[in-house]
Amino acid sequence: MICCGYMWKSGGEDLQGFYPVRSEYVADVPRTRFKSRAGKTLSARRWHAAFTEDGNLDMERVLRRIQRGGIHPSIKGEVWEFLLGGYDPDSTFEERNILRNHRREQYYAWKEECRRMVPLIGSGKFVTMAVVAEDGQPLEESSVENQGWLVKTAITDKRLLQWMLVLSQIGLDVVRTDRYLSFYENESNQARLWDILSIYTWLNPDIGYVQGMNDICSPMIILLEDEADAFWCFERAMRRLRENFRTTATSMGVQTQLGMLSQVIKTVDPRLHQHLEDLDGGEYLFAIRMLMVLFRREFSFLDALYLWELMWAMEYNPNLFASYEKPENRNNFSQQDPRLLKKYGKFERKYVKSGHNEQHNTLAVFVVASVLETKNKRLLKEAKGLDDVVQILGDIAGNLDARKACKEALKIHEKFLKKANRQ
Amino acid sequence: MSDDDERGEEYLFKIVIIGDSAVGKSNLLTRYARNEFNPNSKATIGVEFQTQSMVIDGKEVKAQIWDTAGQERFRAVTSAYYRGAVGALVVYDITRSSTFENVGRWLDELNTHSDTTVAKMLIGNKCDLESIRAVSVEEGKSLAESEGLFFMETSALDSTNVKTAFEMVIREIYSNMSRKQLNSDSYKEELSSNRVSLVKNDNEGTKTFSCCSR
Repeated sequence: MICCGYMWKSGGEDLQGFYPVRSEYVADVPRTRFKSRAGKTLSARRWHAAFTEDGNLDMERVLRRIQRGGIHPSIKGEVWEFLLGGYDPDSTFEERNILRNHRREQYYAWKEECRRMVPLIGSGKFVTMAVVAEDGQPLEESSVENQGWLVKTAITDKRLLQWMLVLSQIGLDVVRTDRYLSFYENESNQARLWDILSIYTWLNPDIGYVQGMNDICSPMIILLEDEADAFWCFERAMRRLRENFRTTATSMGVQTQLGMLSQVIKTVDPRLHQHLEDLDGGEYLFAIRMLMVLFRREFSFLDALYLWELMWAMEYNPNLFASYEKPENRNNFSQQDPRLLKKYGKFERKYVKSGHNEQHNTLAVFVVASVLETKNKRLLKEAKGLDDVVQILGDIAGNLDARKACKEALKIHEKFLKKANRQ
Repeated sequence: MSDDDERGEEYLFKIVIIGDSAVGKSNLLTRYARNEFNPNSKATIGVEFQTQSMVIDGKEVKAQIWDTAGQERFRAVTSAYYRGAVGALVVYDITRSSTFENVGRWLDELNTHSDTTVAKMLIGNKCDLESIRAVSVEEGKSLAESEGLFFMETSALDSTNVKTAFEMVIREIYSNMSRKQLNSDSYKEELSSNRVSLVKNDNEGTKTFSCCSR
């Protein structure tokens, strides 16, 4: 299924072939802009050359490439594992193999734990209908379509019940996740997505499952063949994103980022901020989707992946791996050796340089800001209501350039830091 | 009445579509606004909207229809969009009874966050899936009657009743607007900021329509 014509010297490589679209939907998906560019994009050859014999990775070199031109689809998965802090570039092949095997065992143990509670996990099947009543009582068999498995005895454990109740929601979203990709024509791939999301939800009851997590998880399953590896890659991506998905009856976590966005626009473009505020849009709720699913809906599949890897490379911090593995040492990372600066991504470096190494804004907020800025004129001139704002921003689908958006985002970031320091 | 009112009359109604996840809210809207149905439509994150116009009494009436995420956990942010809505479609899926059982919650939600809705319609969607129906037409009708809602069964897939349902809500809103309110300065002011609000009319009748009554 994977197309491997290495034709890039002639510049005509069909990258879309890596993620084939079902023929009946070709007309419906946004055009892909990403092109593998010689000398800029991280190629398989460059990637493999960046390792020493023992397996130490020259992350600095790799980051430089990615920030220039993204990652070739043939190696995306394995590079992402490093970008997301899944593996330490300073480790050896052997050390990483041990860690990988350990993680796989851990994942399959969790999966087994879940399967014992709900035998559908790992069965290749999944549910879109409830398996238990909301009060924990078994459902009457006759009232439900036969879907393979139902709770037989009442569930009293609160965490277990919460989890079981959300499994059908995950199923409802899985069947409509990236359906236009040939990959998801295969029901076992849908089931894998359901398994991973279900297991993640079981392990993270504080966040649970929120719509949009499926959009984040879907690419991982496509890029990483081993299910456990895909799970861990998703888990690492969620480390960055999970707070967005934390909800209470009165708030959603993503509103924190919306608040930052509001601060950024207020600082770099007070006129636009005022205008949005006048339209009752000062809460920037219209940007929720961009932040929650990281522009998956505004870009084609491949372009969204390109944007993600650009952002992650720019946000890369050499302490990422250690901070995830040994969070107790987190405070030791604040003292930076200036010689290490090159090991940081462009965005992160700015913070380290300026000494603001505490909790700070994510690049995604600045990417949204850059999108708003590109529409600045239209927003100021034409937007007479919040509906116009949504409409104008809706027009960007398929018209954004990931690289330009990131470049602009860095500029806005710079401007923001300068102005914020002055205030 | 000034000349201004005679020629420049423009109606803009804000309507919300709410209901459980995957009942077909987005597809009902795209069927109505663009006559399209997308079998691969993705879950709505946050809110989206479309506008569609119709002519009543020779006047152009524009409906601005807001489509919201169905998962309960989005309510904290989606409910902000209920404000100023004069119409609401509460949708369930006739093949999943849980989505019907949750209608009451959605109505509560609507009443809490918007006191301006004059026209509400209960919609049983996916009526093309008769063979796996789980909620009968009668159940839908009787709930609508007890809650004082219009009722209709629709299919976004084959278009059944979709246009009729939206237009009925829009007409109801239109006919509920008294001339007095239309001509008041405060109304014009609100109209200009795209937020039409009306006092709730107490004596709304209940009419029911169904596509699949046997």
